[in-house]
Amino acid sequence: MDDNWGYVAAGYLIMAVTVGGYGAWLWVRTRRARRSLPDIDG
Amino acid sequence: MSVRLKLLGVASIVSLAVLAVLALAVAPEDARQGDAYRLLYLHVPAAWLAYLAFFVTAVASALWLWPRTRSTTWDLLAGASAEVGVVFTGLTLVMGSLWGRPIWGTWWEWDARVTTTAVLFFLYLGYLALRRTGATAAERGKRCAIAAIIAFVDVPIVHFSVTWWETLHQDATVFNPDLDVQFEGFWMPFTLVWSVFAFTLLYAFLVSARLQLAELDEGREERELEIAIADRIRSDEVVPV
Amino acid sequence: MNLLRDSLLVAGKDLRIERRSRVALQQILPFGGIVLIMFGFALDPDRGLLARVAPGLFWTAVLLASLLAVTRAFAIEDTNNARDGLRMAGLDGAAIFLGKAAAIAAQLALLEVVLGIGVVVLYDVEVRGIVLLVCTAVAATIGLAATGTVYGVLASGVRARETLVPLLVLPAVTPVMLGGTRAFEAALDGVPSDGWPWVQLLVAFGALAVIAGIMAFAPLLEEG
Repeated sequence: MDDNWGYVAAGYLIMAVTVGGYGAWLWVRTRRARRSLPDIDG
Repeated sequence: MSVRLKLLGVASIVSLAVLAVLALAVAPEDARQGDAYRLLYLHVPAAWLAYLAFFVTAVASALWLWPRTRSTTWDLLAGASAEVGVVFTGLTLVMGSLWGRPIWGTWWEWDARVTTTAVLFFLYLGYLALRRTGATAAERGKRCAIAAIIAFVDVPIVHFSVTWWETLHQDATVFNPDLDVQFEGFWMPFTLVWSVFAFTLLYAFLVSARLQLAELDEGREERELEIAIADRIRSDEVVPV
Repeated sequence: MNLLRDSLLVAGKDLRIERRSRVALQQILPFGGIVLIMFGFALDPDRGLLARVAPGLFWTAVLLASLLAVTRAFAIEDTNNARDGLRMAGLDGAAIFLGKAAAIAAQLALLEVVLGIGVVVLYDVEVRGIVLLVCTAVAATIGLAATGTVYGVLASGVRARETLVPLLVLPAVTPVMLGGTRAFEAALDGVPSDGWPWVQLLVAFGALAVIAGIMAFAPLLEEG
């Protein structure tokens, strides 16, 4: 049964990377969207 | 970032960290499935999150369609929730596949739950593609709201058809219900409940963040449009008719 | 009843356009045919495999061809501002929906007859349970045409329409694929009693699709 830990580790890793990656993407895009807003008035 | 959003974010991370500890260390090994079953602590809440997300999309779409409650926020919320839902539907399939390989021996199983989840994934992928095509906010809102409600109504029909189809070709050797995990004792069911709780917090955080991004983008597009119109009016004054 | 008359008006217009342009006859029908041939190349033509999976292959070919039919049905509204003309004609949204769906269904019906013959010939299939086959095809076609029409109008005027409609329609018509294939299998295997429940599913799906279309069409056609 020990070799099943490979699947478990892969699963938790994929979950962490995906959720973390999505969160990071949201953060970067939100920052960029915020920055471009005040520039427009002029 | 608003205080509430920051709070949700922190709460999500903390509860997920607790989940990792519970699921990987505290919860005992399963009698029949050994350690592979720990993937269920991700697979089950991911599936729950996906269904929750698409339910919210359907409700938000209905609220947008209803003239008395129409507001751009509902349209943007529908889109944000659907995007999070698609991400987690994909994760549901991957977690299920990783769990199924050591348990069933295959990466994929043509049973009702798995195939319905796959159809669900593509249904909402199409919805997301539709979202990116709207000319005006009203146009997009209308198309997408109707598409979301149709998709939501279609899911139980698909599930029913596939369940029926499954009973016809069920192989005794392949899909054995005895292979389902019994969540006995204290820590196993507690961890499962905790996982649903943690993922619900995560959903609230991700959707709030995604909605905020959508509102910022929407605001910026409106400003750009206003500026383009203002520029055009100004340049028209210069050119002789 | 006005609805019936208006729907026939729209259906007649679409079919008249088809009769003049012959797109379904000269392009969509051959497309279905080449798909059947490709299956023969893809799978083992010997050892009776094709005959065994013939129902699935038939419905796959029909479903793929229906995507072309739906895209075409809405492409004809793009020329000469036909869509505006349709709206200004004062027709009820429901009538436009029923008319367009009926025209698509008629084309699909012809397609299914021809592809059915193709399957019998190419895959060496023995035809039994013809009543079940016909009833299945009728019920499935209604659901298919109605769903396709709803998504067709949903995506009309949208830039990437040709690639969007297939992605939207195929997952949604999964019950048609399942019901059609299983019912056909029952008919060809000689156990029709297994097939009739699937026909019921197809009828229910078709009814829901038609209702959805009628409800959704009016608001969708309102603006530009």
